[in-house]
Amino acid sequence: VLCRSIVLVAVLVAARGSLAAVELAVGAHTLSNGLRVLLHEDHSAPVVASYIFYRSGSRNEQRGQTGIAHLFEHMMFNGGRRFGPGAFDDLIEGNGGSTNGFTTRDLTAYLNKFPSDALPLVLDLESDRMASLAITQQNLEQERGIVMEERRLRIDNEVTGAMDEALYLHAFVESPYRWNPVGFMADLRRITLAEAKAYFHTYYAPNNAILVLAGDFESEAALALVRRHSGKIPRREPPPPVTAAEPPQEGVRRIEVLKEAELAAVLVGYQGVRAPAADRPVLDVVEQILGGGESSRLFLDLVRGHEVASGVDANNAWGIDPDLFAIYAKARPGKTAADLEQRIDQVTGRLGSARVSSEELTKAKNQLRAHFVRSLKTVSGKANQLGYCEVVFGDHRALLGLEDGWEAVEAADVERVVAAYLRPDRRTVIALVPPSRVEDRS
Amino acid sequence: VRVLALLLVLGGVAHAADEFELPPITRTVFDNGLRVVVAEQRELPLVGFYLLIGAGAAQDPAGDEGLAALTAATLTRGTVEHSAEELAEKIESLGGSLQASAGTDGTVVVGEFLAKDYVAGLDLLRQVMREPALESDEVRRAREEQEAEIVAALERPATIADVCFAGFLYGAHPYGRPVTGHVGSVTTLKRDDVYNFYARFYRPNNAILVLVGRVEPQEAIDRLRQAFGTWEARPDAIPSRAGAPASVPRRRILLVDKPNATQAQIRLGNVAMERANPDYLAATVGNTILGGGFTSRLIEELRVKRSLTYGAWSQFVARLTGGDFQLGTFTKNETTVETLGVTFDVLDGFRKAPPQAKELEKARAYLRGQFALKLERPEDLAARLADVEFYGLPADELATYRGRVAAVTSDQVEAVVRRYMAASDAVAVVVVGKADDIRVPLEVKYGPIVMTPAESCWTLYGPGDYPAL
Repeated sequence: VLCRSIVLVAVLVAARGSLAAVELAVGAHTLSNGLRVLLHEDHSAPVVASYIFYRSGSRNEQRGQTGIAHLFEHMMFNGGRRFGPGAFDDLIEGNGGSTNGFTTRDLTAYLNKFPSDALPLVLDLESDRMASLAITQQNLEQERGIVMEERRLRIDNEVTGAMDEALYLHAFVESPYRWNPVGFMADLRRITLAEAKAYFHTYYAPNNAILVLAGDFESEAALALVRRHSGKIPRREPPPPVTAAEPPQEGVRRIEVLKEAELAAVLVGYQGVRAPAADRPVLDVVEQILGGGESSRLFLDLVRGHEVASGVDANNAWGIDPDLFAIYAKARPGKTAADLEQRIDQVTGRLGSARVSSEELTKAKNQLRAHFVRSLKTVSGKANQLGYCEVVFGDHRALLGLEDGWEAVEAADVERVVAAYLRPDRRTVIALVPPSRVEDRS
Repeated sequence: VRVLALLLVLGGVAHAADEFELPPITRTVFDNGLRVVVAEQRELPLVGFYLLIGAGAAQDPAGDEGLAALTAATLTRGTVEHSAEELAEKIESLGGSLQASAGTDGTVVVGEFLAKDYVAGLDLLRQVMREPALESDEVRRAREEQEAEIVAALERPATIADVCFAGFLYGAHPYGRPVTGHVGSVTTLKRDDVYNFYARFYRPNNAILVLVGRVEPQEAIDRLRQAFGTWEARPDAIPSRAGAPASVPRRRILLVDKPNATQAQIRLGNVAMERANPDYLAATVGNTILGGGFTSRLIEELRVKRSLTYGAWSQFVARLTGGDFQLGTFTKNETTVETLGVTFDVLDGFRKAPPQAKELEKARAYLRGQFALKLERPEDLAARLADVEFYGLPADELATYRGRVAAVTSDQVEAVVRRYMAASDAVAVVVVGKADDIRVPLEVKYGPIVMTPAESCWTLYGPGDYPAL
């Protein structure tokens, strides 16, 4: 567990992004029970966003229990000792707020967006469910059915969801990133009440959580409220560390997904790096050069030049553990996954063998910087980014270092990193082959 | 909080919390008819443009469905000065964005640039709006991408359900047609079609331009006048529009077969109201109780009590000359008929029993509380400001919103629910799912149903086009 301390630490960081002129003053505190608290005041509107991040996502799951982190996220809305079933949603909405949660491979997050005068209530509700969630068979059965519908929606009846699940399953052998956070249907069917209780006990402790507030409040008063509501929840043993490490990929893994679809598509994944790694900002720049908009290399080649694709995308996924760099392309009618793959190889090959111009490099950096500013448009966006960095980078201050990380990337880094990571001999290719077009493969 | 809200209703006095502080807003109309709104929002180093053209898919000529969408898609692919690739390069080098997309009643061109680059961004917007190249080869490319998009939509059950529902409800009315058109109509579209649509409708007297961000309002208006003050108006730019759509007199059910689906998508509803209808606000409150947020009656009955679904909602889709009220959800094949039945019961129960005081209070608090949060992003504020102009709403629509929500009464909600939320025996219903599993139980419970392949929802424009209706 990162950044835990038994003494109360208060740090005020007022850093300034070097170019985008974004300022984000953050007060960081650690309560005596280990709860990490990040506070960012923003008085531009009478609203507050609260996020609680638990350092527990699907990477913390065991085989046979995949999906439990996400299933648990659902169970967190069904009442604690003081606020019974339904009270959480009722009180939040009845006070003008909205509430939700999400689960990723690295973390589970709970968010509320509300008028600032509801802050005491929200902190009370959050502390109740952290301290004393009601974990009942009825609650489990209710959410089990709902989550199975969510899986049918996002994976089983959605071709891009099915391809994404397949990519991670085959690009990783040992890393717990390999399964989708929604879990396998068979595991969702069988997870038991005892397992759910054990999960809560292991992961939902104050010393495994980060509370982030952004918006219209006074920090001192807010911190006093947090301490009053959550300061006495006892700390627990830190959860066991995730020790699984992915062996290097040797060779190409190629999977054909036979799924009802109108157009062929391909998703290519390369094993990447941890988010805090030195090469991560370089891969971010590569992502923009390859897939950032209609002047990107993949768009110009696959969509405009060779007219094989109707859409392309590149994504360098950030994670606590090494994640994937992925390229997606959707075919035009009449084109095959092989057509797409061939062009992707040409484009990535060229990027690894010839230096990018300074204009292209600057464009990529400007795009990353603009995305960064856009992610901070709302108090919710700010709280989300701060908490995310605290979990994934181990320090929320990483947020304000992101721009400098991109700025430092040089053309030679791009060439080196593409050659090192985007290797045609070490990748996983997921080809979507519509069954009615199976004959197209030959 | 609850006490204050109660006092507010009883006393009819605006509590301080209801005086929502909008950023300073300046409105003006240029001599050529262009309506301009500038909101000075200084929190972020960004400037957003939102330009609304009053013509969309509803103005597609018969047989040329998809033309408004194609025109929008071609608009940003090159200008007199820059090729498509140069233009994309210029925009993206600034970390900016500039996109056009057609809707049903209008077309929206949105752009966003860092505040330090906004003058350059504004010039790119000017070029795109006033000097687009609309070259034949770019029309061809945009057309082929649109065809691929139409085909790809058949992979998404939720999209199929939405398209089929619109057609099945509105029939031949323009609100029943998909914005993209269908493959047959798009294939024959030519450069001249695009040019003519652009030349007629993309005119200042048929446009609203909103700018939101870190700007000095007067300086911004001067710059906008330089860029758009000499844009030429055209008398026939403002389109004539179809009248109000007709409602469905009695229940009819369309089943769209997806043989490999493990989950069915459900949509149902009937024609309701136009956006400028004075009942819209009370309708919004009623809709929140029935199917908005996480504590609605639909969520309670379908998700919380029965685990039938992950999502259930209702909404008023309110357009310029009419609209609909619709409910949506999805469930596994085996529980499709059960889910449809519960949805019917919830709808009918809401019509019969007025909302309880607690429900009403919660809905009002929710809408009032979320209002400021929904205007945080510059593009959201811009869209709401453009709506005020486009739908002819009162100029103080946003400033008075919270106070007006607080004043909505139980009687008003009850009246709009009965009037605009059709009972379950008078709705169009669309189910997209595996017919082998669903068809028989559906017919046993609800009588004869209509079936059609998914792709035909893109081409059926009238009740007479549907088999056995």
